Amino acid sequence: MMTKVIEVKDVWKAYDTLEVLKGISFDVFEGEVKVVFGPSGSGKSTLLRVINMLTPPDKGEVLLRGQSLMDPQADLTKLRAHIGFVFQNFNLFAHLKAIDNVSIGPHLVLGKTKEEAHDIAFKALEKVRMNDWGHHYPAQLSGGQQQRIGIARSLAMNPDVILFDEPTSALDPELIGEVLQVMLDIAKEGTTMIVVTHELGFARAVADEMIFMDHGVIVETGTPQHFFQNPKSERAIDFLHKLEVLYGQAETDIES
Amino acid sequence: MRPTSPNQLIGMLQINRIVEYLPDLWNGLSMTMGLYLFALFLGLGLGIVLAIGRHYGGPIVSRISTAYIEFMRGTPLLAQILAITTLPLALNLDTSWRIILQDIFGTPRITVDITILLCAITLGLNSGAYQAEYFRGSMASISGGQTLAAKSIGMTKRQEIRHIALPQSLRRAIPAWSNEAVYLPKYTTVAYFVGVPDLFSAAKLAAGRTFQSLTVYSLVAVIFLVLITAISWILSRIYNRVKIPGI
Ligand SMILES: Nc1ncnc2c1ncn2[C@@H]1O[C@H](COP(=O)(O)OP(=O)(O)O)[C@@H](O)[C@H]1O
Ligand SMILES: [Mg+2]
Repeated sequence: MMTKVIEVKDVWKAYDTLEVLKGISFDVFEGEVKVVFGPSGSGKSTLLRVINMLTPPDKGEVLLRGQSLMDPQADLTKLRAHIGFVFQNFNLFAHLKAIDNVSIGPHLVLGKTKEEAHDIAFKALEKVRMNDWGHHYPAQLSGGQQQRIGIARSLAMNPDVILFDEPTSALDPELIGEVLQVMLDIAKEGTTMIVVTHELGFARAVADEMIFMDHGVIVETGTPQHFFQNPKSERAIDFLHKLEVLYGQAETDIES
Repeated sequence: MRPTSPNQLIGMLQINRIVEYLPDLWNGLSMTMGLYLFALFLGLGLGIVLAIGRHYGGPIVSRISTAYIEFMRGTPLLAQILAITTLPLALNLDTSWRIILQDIFGTPRITVDITILLCAITLGLNSGAYQAEYFRGSMASISGGQTLAAKSIGMTKRQEIRHIALPQSLRRAIPAWSNEAVYLPKYTTVAYFVGVPDLFSAAKLAAGRTFQSLTVYSLVAVIFLVLITAISWILSRIYNRVKIPGI
């Protein structure tokens, strides 16, 4: 019996009159990698922010291991610590060294001692292959390195699920590979992930399910094979075609 | 060698007379420095609290902070000092409290009394309002992304302010805040108007008695200039030491 880590139930969100999410529902199981893709402005980032309540929805519900994040009794800050978030623009803490960016969560939020938190952070840095860079400040690192620190910051919290919001789209092309590689590694270790990305090679390699969103609704879902061989909806076909023109074929090789 | 003319002789004698007032000037300088440091640090603490209140506080706290800041910056400092230092008299309170200590020349002097204390506090309350605005500016310049990141790893708002926002905004505020630190010694001269024996009032006394206004005030100007230059230098050293590498 597979356990549901996240349940998104009929989520709606509007900014003023602009309906951004119009009834989104899906479940994420333990160890699953979900890839969400769709045109810019379709509501992908909003969806991720709703899942960890950085943006509370107007209607609907999000459950983390069966517990509602909308429950007024729920301690949102506590629950949020179980949901990692990797940002498009990294959002590292500028005044902290790489290692401190990673250890601050375990120390302040999980209540580990400084030493324990440092050990946890070091292990997380090893996972993203940044253990030699722990004493650098964010502004002294490349975008790819910063994003790997961002991933380590999430990993160190030992979360139930990590949300990725276009983690490679702010990177120079030559830096994308190192970040995708780290994401592949942690996906293969069984990390539960929801990844908004247009990197079809990544999706092909590890996605259990792909979700195609447009205009605030889920238009089509399916396995990577489904989408690469015979997508059904006109909009998905169109969009995938545009992506291939932009980014090249899904076959784009990543070492696996 | 040209013989010294009588006028020059009198001039020299008068300059020598300034020497008599050097202890007064020294004590005045000490008073000015005392007022300055007290007001600067009171204002620093208050400024940080006000800036946090204005930037992060709820609607009520933020409005109270804003009202305070606008009131203190919008009314003349001299009026504030006059109003507050006459308060004990107006309320018929006992104003005889004072601390008398020997100065470095061995003469007993009033080091602190009610007027001096109220004057220092008012300077601090006023400076706090200006300092708050420098801190608020730097708080607003911290990227919202870092706030989201702090939330996303489960930090409380308090932890986010304490561990993410403040360490960055306080560092960033230093260059702008230096303005306040540098100009504040000048503003302490309003203490003269309520009879506090600061550097300026010592200068006025010495100038009046020796008829050497130009010399005395030039001396005061030089002292202020040295003071301000030293403060700027110290602050830029501090800033370079604490600023975030790579930025
Ligand atoms: N905080 C906000 N206030 C107002 N409108 C917003 C806000 N965030 C997103 N939007 C709007 O919602 C729509 C969806 O945005 P987003 O979720 O970022 O889409 P995506 O990530 O798919 O590009 C866009 O039209 C965007 O302009
Ligand atoms: Mg987006």
